[in-house]
Amino acid sequence: MIGLIIIAALAALIFAAINFYGVKRRDAGTDQMQEIAASIQEGADAFIKHEYKIIAVVAACIAILLAVVVSWYSAVSFVLGAVMSASAGWIGMKIATISNVRVANEAKETRDIGKTLKVAFQGGSVMGLCVGGFALLGLFIIYMVFGKWLGQLNPENLSFHKNWLGISDIPFTMTVSSYALGCSVIAMFNRVGGGIFTKAADMGADLVGKTEAGIPEDDPRNPATIADNVGDNVGDVAGLGSDLLESYVGSLISAIVLAAYTFFSVRNTGQSISETLVSKLVSYPLVFAALGLFSSMFGVLYLLLKKVSKNPHKELNRATFAGAGITLISTGILTWFYFSAEQVAPISFNLGILSPWVCAVLGIVSGIIIGQMAEHYTSYDFKPTQGIAAASKEGAALTITQGMAVGMTSVIAPVITLGICIIAANATAGLYGVAMAAIGMLSFVTVTVSVDTYGPIADNAGGISEMAKLDPEVREITDELDAVGNTTAAIGKGFAIGSAALAALSLFASYLYAQAGENSAGGIDLILNMVNTMTLVGALAGAALPYLFSGILIEAVANAARKMVQEVRRQFASDPGIITGESKPDYKTCISISSAGALAEMKFPAIISVATPIVSGFIFGPEFVGGLLIGTTLSAIMLALYTANAGGAWDNAKKYIEHGHYGGKGSDAHKAAVIGDTVGDPLKDTVGPSLDILIKIMAVVSLISVSIFSKFNLFSLF
Amino acid sequence: MIYYYLTVFPMEALIASELDPKAFGSYMATGSRKGSAEQLIFIEVEGGFESSFDWDFAGKNCVAHSSGEPKHSLYLSIYRVLENTPHEKMKSMYLVTKDGRTLQLYKNTCKVPGNWKGYAMYQELCPVHPLIVSSLNPQQFSEYIISDSDKVTVPAIVFADVKLIDFDDYENSGNVGSMYDRNLGHMKDCIESVKSEKKKKQTKTIDRSFSSSFTYQIIDTGIYAASLDGIILYTMPTREELKQNHYDWGRSANIF
Repeated sequence: MIGLIIIAALAALIFAAINFYGVKRRDAGTDQMQEIAASIQEGADAFIKHEYKIIAVVAACIAILLAVVVSWYSAVSFVLGAVMSASAGWIGMKIATISNVRVANEAKETRDIGKTLKVAFQGGSVMGLCVGGFALLGLFIIYMVFGKWLGQLNPENLSFHKNWLGISDIPFTMTVSSYALGCSVIAMFNRVGGGIFTKAADMGADLVGKTEAGIPEDDPRNPATIADNVGDNVGDVAGLGSDLLESYVGSLISAIVLAAYTFFSVRNTGQSISETLVSKLVSYPLVFAALGLFSSMFGVLYLLLKKVSKNPHKELNRATFAGAGITLISTGILTWFYFSAEQVAPISFNLGILSPWVCAVLGIVSGIIIGQMAEHYTSYDFKPTQGIAAASKEGAALTITQGMAVGMTSVIAPVITLGICIIAANATAGLYGVAMAAIGMLSFVTVTVSVDTYGPIADNAGGISEMAKLDPEVREITDELDAVGNTTAAIGKGFAIGSAALAALSLFASYLYAQAGENSAGGIDLILNMVNTMTLVGALAGAALPYLFSGILIEAVANAARKMVQEVRRQFASDPGIITGESKPDYKTCISISSAGALAEMKFPAIISVATPIVSGFIFGPEFVGGLLIGTTLSAIMLALYTANAGGAWDNAKKYIEHGHYGGKGSDAHKAAVIGDTVGDPLKDTVGPSLDILIKIMAVVSLISVSIFSKFNLFSLF
Repeated sequence: MIYYYLTVFPMEALIASELDPKAFGSYMATGSRKGSAEQLIFIEVEGGFESSFDWDFAGKNCVAHSSGEPKHSLYLSIYRVLENTPHEKMKSMYLVTKDGRTLQLYKNTCKVPGNWKGYAMYQELCPVHPLIVSSLNPQQFSEYIISDSDKVTVPAIVFADVKLIDFDDYENSGNVGSMYDRNLGHMKDCIESVKSEKKKKQTKTIDRSFSSSFTYQIIDTGIYAASLDGIILYTMPTREELKQNHYDWGRSANIF
């Protein structure tokens, strides 16, 4: 069965390579189209190179720290995680900048939305397959090298070991957690850096080009338009890929770590638990994910091979549901055979051997419900978004107020869904079940990332069509594909937030296990004492942290956007030929401004997320960090849902008006809705996605460092 | 070569220029270094006709700069230009967007609109800017406003007929810009007053100066130029024609 993991990972990467070259050998269109695409590619490459140089320095520091304080194997697995995540992000961005122009050309040559959708989806699938493939490949290496060959998964090693500093931990939990940390750190930088880049460029292009000069979207006369298109690739593609890879790995390792701690805990209470069962509990999430990856490949293949209709939304949904359906069936059969010979009573599998599968199903269903709720609150087919459009008639203040109301209202239903899922999963298979619910939610991540990545590719294709002055019919095709991408992105965010909450809970339980440490003979009570003032204060600080983090991110976007606005104004003023089309704008300077802004501003929020649990742990101790984690998790989930849904609703309220409601473009309602959309942009595309990562990065860092600051902290001296 | 342009919106003027209509429109909308962004409507006219305009002055002063750069604009008059320009000297009309894109409209003979509802809304563009509702068709309306039988009269006029929406379903207004953003109730009352047989009102002013809300999205059949010479219709292309032949202009004009 373990062989399935490497077969799935390699098959996904080979499939990705086939699709990569399949897209690349397509015709890239006219010289003008190729020139525009080359500018976008050049800008994206330059930014990623600069970004990865900075990340490399930070990652090297963290790796050295891990090697010295924890163990060499933690450092190695951290680097492996970072490499896998960075590779997925880089390849995804690369194919997106190759696909965009080919999608535009396919629309130009065929005038067929179905055929164009296929090219965009084939490009997007490279990212999806890389996310699934690289994540599993890395975990397989960790499992085989550290778990099997170095013996960390031997039952006698699934107990606390002391390192040279006298710090004790269960080695394999540290290894996989460090792998997840590597993925998370890259994801944080890619999301934050890409998010600042893309929104600064977008806002700069809109505020001056569209609003002041009256230039339409993606017009080549706008100096910030290439930077805007570069931003789609570095933010919405590379950032999204690393983000979902991190979520996927986070959910998988949360189950593996819990399995290890559960074994330790059960054994310490004197109950018997078979070694094969432990081994299966550890490997089950990986085999489950492998089947999910195979199923997703079928989903991707299904769309690429079939004759595609003229309804892109339906086709993408079919591919997703095909992937999800095959995942459900195949993993159900797997679970039945996997645990059929095992006694599962000691590990709280209350519905028998199918318990973890039932939990995964709960996760999938919850993910779909959360996604549908996101669509309800953000799509202009429904009342909440239409209400924002209606409020826009009365001016920008009411647009903002109504959007905030929609965003805030939208939080409760997904939270109730998550709550029901957590209770049901816990009742079915304990905390391991909760972790399996997170895995279920992301089990067909390959197909969901493929669908999500197709959106920005279509958006870029629209930009290229516009700049290259292709026929209106071509631009209508790319616009329609882009519009579908907006809806799928909102649903994808629902999955990411939901899985982050479930994975964070599992990681939190592991944190409590790790905090109890080797002194937990006789069983561990997973209790967080909220009456303890340290815990309470930690929770308060934790609840405030996402607001601080979000504030820093929004300010970073605003700073970079302000510089972009000034530059675009300067170019228009200094060269009147730009607006008449006689002179070419200086696109490179705008790209440099976004790039410099993002690179300068991304470090602080990323460092906050890694350093806060460590610093507060060394000062206040583990109870404080326990409170910090719970406070951050709760507050960040609410804020992530709020920002994603409010931002999406503002965006689509504007689109609703642009489709000929309340006066359409140029009306007072439209002007107000544009302001709402601009306010919502950094919320939904920079803050929201980064908060998912914040939750997990803090949980993983705490899990790795708790054994250290439990022993050494300032307050324990008094 | 010197071109002569009669600008009718937002201000009335006769301007000589070495720029062709497209370049002139772009220059006037976006400015050279002024950084302006405003829509502009002008008619190309054949100069030299008998009038008080100083054609010689134009010939002497509308010359290229020493750098070789063409003369962008030389104002010949900013007052009562329209009434002094004969219809036969008027060529095409140009609609310029805020970002300087130009759409050429051709001269046509005026007909009663096929989809006549019994009333119409007219945005007067030159020399004054009120928004009017009238039970008169464009031809009758122009005759009414030009004739000196009424106290309210002008010797020549440029006006557009405006797209009408379903006032009871503003949510599905279509893409009409800020035209119907305010005072819908007052608009309905004005329309009722010209529709009412009891009141026998032929025209009613909805707003005395409505030019700030005027956008190209709301032009229905086209723009009319009328004087004692008669009436000319500058026909607005259909949405499909705009999409096929003038898509970029349509995007800049917020039509797409």
